[in-house]
Amino acid sequence: MKSKWINGIMYAALGTASLFFITPLLYVMLTSFKTENEIFRVPQSLLPDALYAGNYIAIFESGNNFLRYFANSAIITVTGVFFVLVLSALAGYGFARLPFRGSGAMLAAILMTITIPLAVFLVPIYLMEDAWGILNTNLGLILPNVAVVLPFAIFIMRANYMGIPNELEEAALIDGCGVFRTWWSIMLPLVKNGSVIVIIHAFYNIWGEYTLAKTLATKPDAMPLTVGLTLFKGEVWAFGMLSAVIVLSMLPPIIIFLVFQKQLIEGISQGAVKG
Amino acid sequence: MAGSSVTTGKRHGFRTLHRKKQWYGFFFVLPAFLFIFAFMLYPVVYSFYMSLHKYNYVFDPSPVFAGFGNYLKALEDSTFRTALKNTIVFSFFYFVLVMAVSLAIALTLYHVKRFQSFFRTAIFMPIVVPVSLSALVFLWILQENYGLLNYLLRDVLGLAALAKPWLNLGSTAMASIIGVSLWATIGFETILFLGGLQALSREMLEAAVVDGADGFKRIFYVILPNLKETYVITGIWAILHGLKVFVEPNVMTNGGPGNSTLVVYQEVYYNAFNRFEMGYASAEAYILAILALAFSLLNMYINRAKD
Repeated sequence: MKSKWINGIMYAALGTASLFFITPLLYVMLTSFKTENEIFRVPQSLLPDALYAGNYIAIFESGNNFLRYFANSAIITVTGVFFVLVLSALAGYGFARLPFRGSGAMLAAILMTITIPLAVFLVPIYLMEDAWGILNTNLGLILPNVAVVLPFAIFIMRANYMGIPNELEEAALIDGCGVFRTWWSIMLPLVKNGSVIVIIHAFYNIWGEYTLAKTLATKPDAMPLTVGLTLFKGEVWAFGMLSAVIVLSMLPPIIIFLVFQKQLIEGISQGAVKG
Repeated sequence: MAGSSVTTGKRHGFRTLHRKKQWYGFFFVLPAFLFIFAFMLYPVVYSFYMSLHKYNYVFDPSPVFAGFGNYLKALEDSTFRTALKNTIVFSFFYFVLVMAVSLAIALTLYHVKRFQSFFRTAIFMPIVVPVSLSALVFLWILQENYGLLNYLLRDVLGLAALAKPWLNLGSTAMASIIGVSLWATIGFETILFLGGLQALSREMLEAAVVDGADGFKRIFYVILPNLKETYVITGIWAILHGLKVFVEPNVMTNGGPGNSTLVVYQEVYYNAFNRFEMGYASAEAYILAILALAFSLLNMYINRAKD
C-alpha cells in the first residue's frame, strides 16, 4: 500500500521532469509552424492553427545569412570531427600500447587541460590567429575546436585500446606486420565502439560551440549558427523565421542523440571516471 | 643448439622492436600533441606571461611588464568585483540545485522499472542542444507579453500576479539564467550519478535489505554514503560549469539589467575583445582559473575517502 503510493509519486516526478526538459524543444518546434500573427497573439495558442510552412520557406529567400551560417557550421563540424577521430585514434594507440620516455607526463598535461576554463586560452589563441591571418575563417575555428575536443577523445580511445588483449598485436608484430599496419588493420577495427563515442561527442560539442566562435569569428560571413543566430535577438523580434532556423539547427545533434543515445551515455560515464 | 640461438635471436628482436616501438609511440602521439600544445598548453603559459603585462592590442606597440599590477587592479575594480560576486552567486545556487536535482532524478530513475527509455530520452536530450540556441528559445519563453512562461502563469494557472518581465528585473534575471543552465545540464549530471549508482555492489544492496534497510532507509544509510567518488566527479564538473558560465548571460541578458548578471567570463571577454586590454583580461581569466582550481581541490578534500 505504502510502496504503491511512493511508486506513483516517483512516476509523477519523472513525468514532470520529462515535461520540463522536453517542453522548450516542443515549443520552438510548434512555434516554427505558426504565422507571425499567431505568434504575437495574446493569449497564445499552444498548437498552431494550421501547419504554416512560410517560416521555413523564408529561410531560403535571399537577404539573410542563415544558409551561410549553416554551411559554416557544417564545414567546421565535419572537418573538425574527422581530425579529432584520426588524431585521437593515433594518439590513443600511442599512449595505450607504445609507451615512450615522457609519454606519461605528456598524457597528464593533455588531460589537465580539460579542467582549465577556456577563458584562459582565448587571448593567446586570438593573438596567434591574428598573426597567422586566419581570424574569420573556417580554418580558424576548426583548429582550436579540434584541440579542445581532443583530450577527451584521446582519453576514450586510449581506454578502448587498453581493453584489447596484448596477444593479438604481439602475434601480428612477430608475423612481421609493421607497427603502423598492425594499428591500421588489426587494432583499429577493434575500437569501433570508442570511435563512435568520439564521433558523437566531437559532433555535438563542435556543432554547439559558442565561445571560440564568438571570439574568433566577428564577421557575419564567418560565423557558425551558434553565434550568427544570436544577432537576431531583440526586445520584441520576429521569432517566426528564427524559430524555424533554430529547429533546423537543433535537428542534427538531436537526430544523432536519438540514434546513438547508448554511446552518448557511455562516453559521458567513461570520460568522467578519471577526467 | 639451434633452439638457443633461436631464443636469443628472438630476444634481440624484441629489444629492437621495443626501441622501435618507442619511436613509433612518439610519432603516433605527435600530431594530436601539436594541436593541444599550440591551442592549449602554450596559451596557458602565454596568457600567464600576458597577465603580468600591460598590453592594449590596439594602442600599445608591445607588452610592458607590470608585475602583479593587473591582478591588483582587477581586485580593486568595482565592475570586476560585481562580476566576481555574480559568478559566485550563480555558481553557489547552480551547484546546490544541479547536485540535488540530478541526484534525485538519478535515484528515481534507478528505482522505477517502466518507461525508462522515455524518461531518459526526455531528460538527456538537452545535453546535445547548442546552449546558445536554447538560450534564444528561453529568451522567447521568458518574454513578458508573448512568452510561454507568463502565458502559463496568467492564463493556465491563474497566477497573474506572478507574471513578470523575467529578464528585465534585477531580482529575477539571475534566477532565470540559473534555470536555463540547469535545464541544459541536469541530464549530464544525472548520467554521472546513474553511473555511480550502477557501480554500487549488488551484494551490499541486497545485504542491506536482509538487514531490514529497504526503501528510504536503504537510500539514506547505504546508497548515499557510498557515492563519495561520484560526488567528487559531479561536484568538480558542477563547480567548473558554474564558474565558467558565459553563454547563457551573454545571449540572454548581456550582463544586464545593470550589471546584475555580469559574470567574470564576460568581463574577460569584454576587456579582451571590446577594449583590447589583453594583459588585464588575461589576469582576470587567471583569477577565474585559480578559483576553479581552488574549489575543485576543496571538493576533493571534502569527499576524500576516509580510512
